Amino acid sequence: MLEEVGFVDVRIGDPVDTFGGAGGEANARAFDVHGYAFRARRP
Amino acid sequence: MSTITDQDGRFTPVDPEALRAEVRAKYRDVAESPNASFHFHTGRDLARRCRYDMGPVDQLPECAVESFAGVANPFELRDIGSGERVVDVGSGAGFDSFLAAGAVGASGFVVGVDMTPEMLAKSTATAATLGIAHVEFRDGIAESLPVPDGWADVVISNGVFNLCADKRLAFDEVFRVLRPGGTLQFADIANGRPVPEEAMREIDLWTG
Repeated sequence: MLEEVGFVDVRIGDPVDTFGGAGGEANARAFDVHGYAFRARRP
Repeated sequence: MSTITDQDGRFTPVDPEALRAEVRAKYRDVAESPNASFHFHTGRDLARRCRYDMGPVDQLPECAVESFAGVANPFELRDIGSGERVVDVGSGAGFDSFLAAGAVGASGFVVGVDMTPEMLAKSTATAATLGIAHVEFRDGIAESLPVPDGWADVVISNGVFNLCADKRLAFDEVFRVLRPGGTLQFADIANGRPVPEEAMREIDLWTG
C-alpha cells in the first residue's frame, strides 16, 4: 500500500513480540501478529 | 450484509466513525489509568520490549511514559535529525513526540496529532511541565491531519494505522503533509496469517 500511495525506498525492521505476556497474546499468536518498524520516503 | 465505504467510495470493513469512538474510549482509559490491565503492555517495560534506546526514555518523567502503548520503535530504522520538523500521527500522551523533540532540538518543531481529548490534555500538560516550547499537540485524525501541505520533514507514528478503517486515506494524508524527500518512519503491527473477513468486521477485535 505504501508504494501504491507513492512512497519509495520502503524498509521493514525486525519483528517485535509486542503482545507476548499481555492479555492480547492469544489473538496475536493466532494470527502471528508482531510489531515492526517501517521506513519510507516521499520522492 | 451491508457494505461500508469511505468518502472516496473505497470498501472499509467497519464504520470509521464507530471505530474511532471505540478507540477513543480505549485510549481514554490508557490516559487516565495507565496501570490498569489491557490487552497490550504499556510504559517503560513496553519501551524496553520495543528496543528503544532507554537513555533518552529514562530522562522523561513518568507522565510522559506511563501511557505509552506503541507496538515497536519508529526511530529504529532512522534517527531524527537536529532542526527537523516532525508530525506524530496519533501522539497519545506524547511519548514519541517528546523523544522526537529531544532529537530535533530548539531549532526543530514537533506537532503531535491525536483524537482522544484525555490524551491531548495529558501530553499538553506534560509539555508545559517540561517547559518544551517546540512541541505542540493538536486535535485531529490520521485521515485529516491539521498540518499544511509539505510542512513535515518527517512523519512518525506508533500503532495507529492499524486502527484506521481506511488505511489508504491515512497514508495519502501522510504523503500530503511530507515535503518531497521527506521520510515516513512508523511502527505498526502486521499479521503473518490472514484474518478472516468475518473477524475483520468485528469492531471489538480491532481494539482488543
